[in-house]
Amino acid sequence: MSRTSPSAGIRAALLSGKRRPRTAGGSPTMRRGDGYEFVELRAYVAGDDVRRIDWPASARAQELQTRVILEDVALTLAGVLDDTPSMQVGRRRPLARAGAEALAAWYAVAAADDRCVRVIGDAIHPRGAARGRASAAAALGASGRFDMMRSLNVARVALRPGAALLVASDCFDLSQDADALLLRLARRCDCTLLLARDPWYEGLPLSGLVRMRGAEGGTERAYIGGAERARYTEAVRVREEALLKRFASCGWRAGVLREEDGAASLAAAFGL
Amino acid sequence: MTFAHPLRFALAVVVAAAFVLLYRRLVQRKTRQDLAYSNLDFFVAAARPRRWVPQALAIAWSVGLLALAFALGGPRITAPVPVRDGAVFICIDTSGSMSAGDVVPTRAAAALEAARAFIEESTPGTRIGLIAFSSGASLIEPLSRDHARVVAALSDVPPPGGATAIGDALRLAASALPATGHRLVVLITDGVNNMGVDPQQVSQWLGTQHIPIYTVGIGTTAGALIPGSSDQATIDEPALRSYADASGGAYARAENAAQLRDALARLGRVTSFERKRVDATTGFTVAGIALLIATFFAGMGAGRFP
Repeated sequence: MSRTSPSAGIRAALLSGKRRPRTAGGSPTMRRGDGYEFVELRAYVAGDDVRRIDWPASARAQELQTRVILEDVALTLAGVLDDTPSMQVGRRRPLARAGAEALAAWYAVAAADDRCVRVIGDAIHPRGAARGRASAAAALGASGRFDMMRSLNVARVALRPGAALLVASDCFDLSQDADALLLRLARRCDCTLLLARDPWYEGLPLSGLVRMRGAEGGTERAYIGGAERARYTEAVRVREEALLKRFASCGWRAGVLREEDGAASLAAAFGL
Repeated sequence: MTFAHPLRFALAVVVAAAFVLLYRRLVQRKTRQDLAYSNLDFFVAAARPRRWVPQALAIAWSVGLLALAFALGGPRITAPVPVRDGAVFICIDTSGSMSAGDVVPTRAAAALEAARAFIEESTPGTRIGLIAFSSGASLIEPLSRDHARVVAALSDVPPPGGATAIGDALRLAASALPATGHRLVVLITDGVNNMGVDPQQVSQWLGTQHIPIYTVGIGTTAGALIPGSSDQATIDEPALRSYADASGGAYARAENAAQLRDALARLGRVTSFERKRVDATTGFTVAGIALLIATFFAGMGAGRFP
């Protein structure tokens, strides 16, 4: 299967997402705006764009008729990639690399009129109104000091309503009281989380006396036996399930970022 | 603790310290190559690994090295060692006051029973002799390694009667003890000296000869009447304590037969040992090597060494 198929699928999902329920249990929302998809005719009211007046219909109806058109189908694709030290670990390669792949696949969804941005800390990259591939390349090449909570807050304020937001992170920096922020983001944007799967999700490759180095700092020397391995595996599974459930309950599309293939992880999150 | 070769010990400590530092450096370098994990706090909370195992191994390893460093220095320690060829004289008071019944059945009978306990608790090979004293001192049994014979000789101790000549008994014991070796005197009395040479002077002289006197005061504080007389049998504790102190021994008090027997039995065990400076090189070497071997196998069993 070609790589364009998942991109097309994701794009279609995002476009239909503009009409998807914003919160669980809600009804689809039709946004009216300056797009191309015709919805209906209605009587002209003062302030309507004269270019939207349907003259033949006006002639037939003996009064001015305005074409009501759906919102513009151009997407704003925003990405938040956690590249902190905790994402620089993995079995064969850093998790951040899989995250970068997912982000590249995310921006690959962009069509010519779409805008790609990256939220890093307090800033949105690129600035200006670049669109299409140019904005995707600029967003991918952006760098800065990452901060999970700041990035989410900036995304909530700065992204236009209806934007699509992808967050790829291990969520170790997500605060416990972030649910309100996640909810508000989901109401404003189409939000997707790719939760980095623990490299040792299938089981710790350790036994006996081990030395571990924390990606964020510190070392640990300890004895790891069967009981410790079992406890660890269970805790990792429970944590992942809890986080996915937590984001889903806040209206996010939540999937797992696998170390092996970031793009496939993104597609899987969209059910592709 | 002292060392026969302090320089060797210092050198060994320096070498051991250098080894430990080098090892730590090696571990730190190796740690950079060890398994990296995203979030150690989560790992510790999730797996709850046993941190004490490597700590215990590191401590055991260090102690083993230290023990070998001690061994290289030729350690000399003061330790209790069984007395060999020791000589003990038991001096039993048979004065009239020993017939008092404040210690059941009588002070004299309790003293004999306690002396028996002392002999039985003494180390085999210790030479034990028996002296009875009242107005004078008499040798009941000369020093003998045959403890059964000494116990049998207790039946030859005369019944209570007469005055109390503690000094004479101590002097007789001093003259009958060998000139060298581990020697001591056990004095069982109620302590009221009223005849013969001054026991304080003899005690001091015994002290200069490194012959301690272990005095055991027998009798209650209230005392009791001496049967067949109107005299009160008391106990002169300050005097007994001073005899013991002057000679480098110790004083114990017994108010009943059980206490007396326990005190003498304990004394028998205590006097069977003497504190000597001994060479502990072998002990430290064996302990150090055993600990290192145990640590090695424990480390291997745990999956990594050390």
